[in-house]
Amino acid sequence: MKSTLQISDNQKISSSLFFFVVLATQIGVGIHGFQRVIVKDASNDAWISVILASIFSHIVVYFMFKTLSLSTSDDLYGIHQDLFGKYFGNFLNLLYVLYCSFSFYSVIRNYIEVINTWVFPNLPQWFISITLLLLVIYAFTGGLRVMVGVCFFSFITGLWILIILYMTLKYAHFNHLLPVFGNDLKSILRGAYSMTFTIVGFEIINVLYPFAKEKDKVQKYVHMGLLFTLFIYLSIILVTLVYFSEEQLERTVWATLALFSVVKLPFIERIEIIIICFWMIIILPNLCLFSWAAYRGINRIKNIKATTFIWIFSILIFFANIPILSRIQIDKANNIFAQIAFCIVFIYPFLLYIIAFSKKMLTKKRERRN
Amino acid sequence: MFRGNKKKEISTKNAVKKEESKQIPIPSSKMEFLDKLKETMHSPADLIVKKISDTITIVFLDFLIDGKTLNEQILTTLEKVNSAPPKVIKENLLIAEVDLVTELNKSVFELLIGAVLIHVDGYPELVVSKISSYQSRGLSAPENESQVIGSQVGFNESLATNISLVRRYITNPKLCNEKFVLGKETNTSVSVLYVHGIASEQHVNTVRQRIQDLDLTDLIDSAVLAELIDDNSLSMFPQMLLTERPDRFCDGLVSGKVGIIVNGSSMAILSPYTFFEFFQSREDQNLRWPIATFIRLLRFAAILISIFLTPIYVAALTFHYEVIPQPLLVPLSESRAVVPFPPIIEAIVLELIIELLREAGARLPTKVGQTIGIVGGIVLGTAAVQAGITSNILIIIIALCALSSFTTPNYLMGNVIRILRFPIIILAGFWGFYGVMLAFCYLIIHLLRQSSLGSPYTAPIYPPRWKDWPDSLIRLPFPLVKRHSVNTRSSDTGKDTSNSLSKEEKVTR
Amino acid sequence: MLVLCSILIMGCAESKILERVSLVTLIGYDLEEENKVTTTSVIRQINPEFESKVEVQSATEGTSKGTRIKVDMKTAKKIAAGQLRVVLFGEELAENGLNESIHTLMMNNELSTSVYLAVVRGTSKSILEYKYNEITDLGQHIYNLINHNVKQEQTISSTTHEIARDYYSKDRHFALPILAKNGEFVQIDGMGFFSSGKMVGELPADDMLYIMMMQDNFKNGKLDLGLDGESVDPTKFKDKELQIAVDSIKTIRGIKVVNPDENEFDLTVKMKCRLLEISSEVSTSDVKVLNKIEKSMSKKIESELSRILEYSQEINSDIYGFGEQYRAQVRGSDLTEEKWTEKYQEMKVNINVDVEIIRNGVFE
Repeated sequence: MKSTLQISDNQKISSSLFFFVVLATQIGVGIHGFQRVIVKDASNDAWISVILASIFSHIVVYFMFKTLSLSTSDDLYGIHQDLFGKYFGNFLNLLYVLYCSFSFYSVIRNYIEVINTWVFPNLPQWFISITLLLLVIYAFTGGLRVMVGVCFFSFITGLWILIILYMTLKYAHFNHLLPVFGNDLKSILRGAYSMTFTIVGFEIINVLYPFAKEKDKVQKYVHMGLLFTLFIYLSIILVTLVYFSEEQLERTVWATLALFSVVKLPFIERIEIIIICFWMIIILPNLCLFSWAAYRGINRIKNIKATTFIWIFSILIFFANIPILSRIQIDKANNIFAQIAFCIVFIYPFLLYIIAFSKKMLTKKRERRN
Repeated sequence: MFRGNKKKEISTKNAVKKEESKQIPIPSSKMEFLDKLKETMHSPADLIVKKISDTITIVFLDFLIDGKTLNEQILTTLEKVNSAPPKVIKENLLIAEVDLVTELNKSVFELLIGAVLIHVDGYPELVVSKISSYQSRGLSAPENESQVIGSQVGFNESLATNISLVRRYITNPKLCNEKFVLGKETNTSVSVLYVHGIASEQHVNTVRQRIQDLDLTDLIDSAVLAELIDDNSLSMFPQMLLTERPDRFCDGLVSGKVGIIVNGSSMAILSPYTFFEFFQSREDQNLRWPIATFIRLLRFAAILISIFLTPIYVAALTFHYEVIPQPLLVPLSESRAVVPFPPIIEAIVLELIIELLREAGARLPTKVGQTIGIVGGIVLGTAAVQAGITSNILIIIIALCALSSFTTPNYLMGNVIRILRFPIIILAGFWGFYGVMLAFCYLIIHLLRQSSLGSPYTAPIYPPRWKDWPDSLIRLPFPLVKRHSVNTRSSDTGKDTSNSLSKEEKVTR
Repeated sequence: MLVLCSILIMGCAESKILERVSLVTLIGYDLEEENKVTTTSVIRQINPEFESKVEVQSATEGTSKGTRIKVDMKTAKKIAAGQLRVVLFGEELAENGLNESIHTLMMNNELSTSVYLAVVRGTSKSILEYKYNEITDLGQHIYNLINHNVKQEQTISSTTHEIARDYYSKDRHFALPILAKNGEFVQIDGMGFFSSGKMVGELPADDMLYIMMMQDNFKNGKLDLGLDGESVDPTKFKDKELQIAVDSIKTIRGIKVVNPDENEFDLTVKMKCRLLEISSEVSTSDVKVLNKIEKSMSKKIESELSRILEYSQEINSDIYGFGEQYRAQVRGSDLTEEKWTEKYQEMKVNINVDVEIIRNGVFE
């Protein structure tokens, strides 16, 4: 397959940064309340569900890379156009762009919801969305480097949260974790399925792949990033399980934030308020990169300047945020998104690989015949 | 904020077109020559015209030339050589820099720098002997960048002295010196220095290109030049270093930076400079490495404290009282009880008072300045608390922040840290911790967007240049520190320069 | 510019400046007739004369927020509950059931889940409204009282989080300390046992340590016991009780299910302690005497533990976690609340206490 992208060397980013990219895009708003959904299915074996979901994501990433490396240097949009022709390929690209926009929207919506519930009940939602969108525009117009830099900094400045997490262990009841494998495999798998909303984000490598400097090393870093997120999720789910009782957990909407509520440092209490405001820098890379992925898609269909795109995009998202949704509606939206994400991220790469591989075999055969 | 920040052709305040200067031949007749000269120079009072003999006249500007050489060499030679053509005079003069000039404007230029023009009646040529010598301030300790241990000599205003200082530190034939003349009205000499083979070709070319593209009317100080050839003049953060210390300057040159010295200014420019390098001091190299690491980390902690402590106080007290632990609750609330203003007003008023004090202290003559500073600070502070305008805890916090902002070794960056606090306090006063986080994110994105001569501003932290880490936030022992930073690596050494950002990089398509 | 200003003005968050709010430091809930609840709040007022007054306000309404609105109408400054640290429940309310109160406390985002809960004898209103001579700030006083005792492991930790965790869990119940007014002071009088949110029994404060020994591990506990003198030294202490005091108690408690069908449990407590006070007539330098003391202590503690356990089984309050252990150690136990209630009544526990005296004073 030929590559249709010409990317000069100085626009590429170093492969080791992919570690931070994957980490930053995976950790978003799902992490606030993912324990509740998993525990409902898998009860005290929820941590096994987490591990299973992560293993599955590793497999998916492996296939994504195989598909991407079938072409010399191309991203998902180019592969679509190559395999399915211009019109159907562009149609698929449009679908993917819509998916990225939906991701973006769900991150912003959930974050606004969290701020309104925990910190500022009276802060108008349009205000939060305007400020966040302005920040995204500012980062976007700086270019891909700035956005990857935001990923990097969000990782570095966010590490202290893990340390605070371990301080809640003084209330731990480790027998909550027993008996291990007390639940049947089906409920554990169902729990893994519920992890979708939290674990997606790494599909950004589909669009980011052509910008990697050393293509052979990228996969290593992406897998390392996935492992590190597994470590983070595992810590959180284990601490949650030993901290809450199962039934209490099923009633706690945002378990991770409730965890931080009980930590008392010598100079600060109620640290969850600070952590929620701090979460802004953790979701900022998600927002930037999702909008960038959408931009790359739109750019294939019709050439449009970056600044124009991001302004139009932000205005659309702002208007989408104006109707005030209730918790139930947001939950429903999250569920719909999780289902769509599951298809696009976990099922579609296999299909795509099969189609791409068979096409390559066919073209090889044809060439051999000639 | 959102428009492109590219540096394009710069035109200065008065866009003066570069006009081709007229070529005026030198009149052979003595009277005509003197008339033409006085007309061109508008008869300055310090123009000395001395008639040596019937045919030979010398012209020079008083105070710009070396009187001894004039008397001993030129006058004695001219006595001997009577009515000789300029060529003969030139060969007989025992002075190193002698020239024959046929064009008036050029000779006037030389006169202005410090030369004696010898005119022989009947010949359209002038003998120009450059014997300039002028007074300049002797070498003294740098005023704004002091160090506890280390060399105590600083640049002064003369270009020649400064370059000689640099040459004394770097005795290396590869130290290149390129001269430019900038400013239509002032014709200031500017020297660009770099070590060939160590400095990156790209950076040198960028500097050269930017200086040549400049179209200035005047150039008095190097800081103006720095701002004009900056990557982004709109940003609050300086992208080039201004330094008075020759050791810092030479250290930069040897690690691959490009230096610019401007005649008439005691501050030399170094670029490219990254954000983290502004917080490094030469003294760190003079101390042992654990102490140097500790001090560097202390500086970074001080920046964070200086920028964010007051806003956090304002945010916590205005919106998030739940965050305050119980032992602190009573003292804090009791100290605030007397104050009639909300915390944000209180904080801003106090910060403004401290800025006023600092600014006033900088302008006052030294004899009065210290007293007023101490008295003003202490008296104002205590009186304010007693009157109930502020709380004493806030005074402690603000004093701590002010102290922390003084730890930056660089004056420019210290100013930035000071001013940066104000918008963040306002944001915190309106939107609590959310506002503080908005400011934090904005700062990070802003720093990421900056570049210095095309290299990323936040190197070596991002893009992570692991080889440069031993000398950034911390300082590891010398065997571990790489001398040439990856940031400024030249292509001659065989490593790739593709790590550095090109100026044209923006949103990828 | 205009847009910026309008954003600034319209987008303001609601400010709660520290000294302009009335901080509620303590709340007491009492049962009034007909599902109404009386809220008594201790409010700390900060005024410019550097004296913080403490006000007590009371109101009766159907919901807790309703009472807050009423109290708001009585105070000069806005009520803010963010610094609330202790919530007290009247005895009657506790016996009626704390389900609603716990749920309300958990729903409220203003309160942290580290707020201590306690029951008071009588009504909380009477305790809070009494004008104490010695205590200036009742809220802070009661918080410090509970807090330092919890830190010294002399009373159970009853934060909202732990209570909610035990309440909502199918196989565990919770207990709260009981406070009582004693003259001019408030003291921890005992412990209240709860089952399904209702208070069903109580034990005096002296038994607190034994209860905690069965609940969790000690890191630094203190105890004073009366041992059977004869078992230590029949010659000197015939028919007399030997009083000893030990501290630096470190215990490791283990609950094991020995026989799930017969509900047989093994409760083992391994205790290491330091001998602090003992009668001077006992020669503690003699290893044999120490062994005898240890054995006597073990026996005494075992008897106390079994007494308490029997009492808990009677009132059906499993605050020690036997149900939790059963579910953890027995696969496929499928424990529901009713099932465990049955099993708990018939539960047989083999208590085994093993005391080891590590150090004994600087003077023998």
